[in-house]
Amino acid sequence: MADPANDFIRDYQTLAQQSWDAWTRQLQQQQPQPTVNPFFTPPPAPASGNDTLERTLAGLKGYFDWMQGAAASGAAAQPVDWRQQLQQLFGGASQPFAQAFGGIDSAGAEGFSRQWQSWLQAAQHSGFGDLPGAQAPIPAFGLNREQQMQQQAMSAAVLASLQASARYQALIQRASQQGMQRLQDKLAEHAEPGRQIDSLKALYDLWVDSAEEAYAEVAMSDEFREAYGEMVNTQMRVRQMQQQQTEQMCQQLGVPTRTEVSSLGERLQALRREFRASQTPASADHADEITALRRDLAALKRQVADRATAAPVAEKATPARPSPSAAIKSISKAPAKAARTAAAGKAKPGAASKSRISSRKRK
Amino acid sequence: MYTPLRIDPTKALGDIATFQRKLAAGMGHLRGMREPEYANTPRELVYSEDKLKVWHFTGHGKTTAKTPLLIVYALVNTVWMTDLQADRSMVRNLLEQGEDVYLIDWGYPDGADRWLTLDDYINGYLDRCVDAVRQRHDLDAINLLGICQGGAFSLCYTALHPDKVKNLITMVTPVDFHTPDNMLSHWCRSMDVDLFVDTMGNIPAGLMNYVYLTLKPVRLNQQKYIGMVDILDNPTELENFLRMERWIFDSPDQAGEAFRQFIKDFYQGNKLVKGTLEIGGKPVDLGMVTQPVLNIFAEQDHLVPPDASRALGKHVGTTDYTQLAFKGGHIGIYVSGRAQREVPPAIHQWLSARN
Repeated sequence: MADPANDFIRDYQTLAQQSWDAWTRQLQQQQPQPTVNPFFTPPPAPASGNDTLERTLAGLKGYFDWMQGAAASGAAAQPVDWRQQLQQLFGGASQPFAQAFGGIDSAGAEGFSRQWQSWLQAAQHSGFGDLPGAQAPIPAFGLNREQQMQQQAMSAAVLASLQASARYQALIQRASQQGMQRLQDKLAEHAEPGRQIDSLKALYDLWVDSAEEAYAEVAMSDEFREAYGEMVNTQMRVRQMQQQQTEQMCQQLGVPTRTEVSSLGERLQALRREFRASQTPASADHADEITALRRDLAALKRQVADRATAAPVAEKATPARPSPSAAIKSISKAPAKAARTAAAGKAKPGAASKSRISSRKRK
Repeated sequence: MYTPLRIDPTKALGDIATFQRKLAAGMGHLRGMREPEYANTPRELVYSEDKLKVWHFTGHGKTTAKTPLLIVYALVNTVWMTDLQADRSMVRNLLEQGEDVYLIDWGYPDGADRWLTLDDYINGYLDRCVDAVRQRHDLDAINLLGICQGGAFSLCYTALHPDKVKNLITMVTPVDFHTPDNMLSHWCRSMDVDLFVDTMGNIPAGLMNYVYLTLKPVRLNQQKYIGMVDILDNPTELENFLRMERWIFDSPDQAGEAFRQFIKDFYQGNKLVKGTLEIGGKPVDLGMVTQPVLNIFAEQDHLVPPDASRALGKHVGTTDYTQLAFKGGHIGIYVSGRAQREVPPAIHQWLSARN
């Protein structure tokens, strides 16, 4: 027997999906279409060819799908166990977290990761599907020895890059899970009349706060720093090897390479510097000497000041400059004066509720 | 015991319908919308070299400042954040205060700029821009306003060429790159920057933007655009939103060598505060900055944490040091309503007392 309520939601979802698709199509139609070149197949690119549009739509679609899923699942209506309710709201495939982080790995980073993926596909089509030498180096022989060695090095580099990316993704996943835990903790603080979350948007905003806090904590860990560095470094090694292989091919075809052009640029820039230096008047040399002497003097002054006292820097507050919303605070580095001020109990709290100006003057 | 979730299913469906309706209505506004223009405050070109241009802004008000102010922006992003839109323009507000404002537009580096070093930027380009303004006004020294990375450049420049700078203002400028809350610095500490630059050459703007987005991935990739749906029916707010999008993503590539040095010496080595930094073989000693210094930072800055800027007070050699803690973020310090009211007047007031 048909359930009128479910039918309504299903119909509504269909209608909403249709209007969403129409909206997306209209936006994409506004983008300029690339000129077709029958002699060149471009590398993989975002479907829309427009980074901002792709990111915007992915973000909106993630949110939209989540709202629809939440409403359709009936989870919003269940008053039994709110933790279970939360799992239903965020546990499905339509959870917005996946789209949000999915977006960061596909938008601006395409030049970062897609190239080696396309290389990997090309290598597999060329018979290198099992990544020769990736597990352990194999001795190479004969006329193509160098190419075989390069191919093995490339395979090992790709494997290292895949492993580094997997490690990075695992940390992102951890941030996602910790974000959900934080959301539960935050929600628990809303379990009283007047503070309850009564809209999907409010729940989403709370989830964003939780997700960002968890991500920031993971991202500031030493483990993340190492994983991030390793991901970047391994991807750069792959890319560098790709470039070397491409350059070898270009040399055989007589095509100037990036390295050659870059080398010319380096020499040209060096010549420009030499030319500028040769035109510099002699007075500039004297100015440099004077600056060097001043630098030495400044260093000496600091040494004398450091020896004279080891007292800490103190702050002395002075009345605010006449500004409608800004307050002025003076800071003095003069230790004796600061000590006197502190002893006399004259130090005032400098923080104002809005922007504040602090200044110090030494005599 | 109450449940924290009290979502009415009917209201939830209503919310979805509203979201859909706003999206559909927004199409009418988005279709045919032109690229939003920046404020384009009237300006004249006074110096150019390679891709660099020095602009002199010609405001309607009377210039009362005796010493011109040269804005030194960062190499990342374009300089037009300082002149974003008519009612959110730091440049325009400084002009209205009576300042005589110049701005260095670094341009968009390409392969020809791959080998530009920090020495080329600071002792080369920046020095010649300062000379150009000095000569125009027949002055020995001018005022500098360095922004973000441009603030770090201005500090180095002032330490190396102290006679040419009368007063120095730094805005959202990183000085101590190793404060515990600096996410960008944390991430790049394990990067092999030599391998990175040797492989990439110039660093693509898209890659830089990607890194910035990953600082707050959910907010910047998703929540921001969900918020946009609420303003789709407001042409003015939508235009402002799209203008900001233009500024965020229309950014220049980074010259490879300068990027290499900046990451190694500043982000990884933290040499500016350690006193071990050298630019063009000359030591950079912040103790040499004896000019009056105004240091402005944003208290909610996720790119340059406040403590990274605040550190300047401990290292700079001047006896006349002022800092302004702005209630806002790295971008809000230029474009928020509060910024318009507070920052340019504070700069003008501070400069007036020292001109």
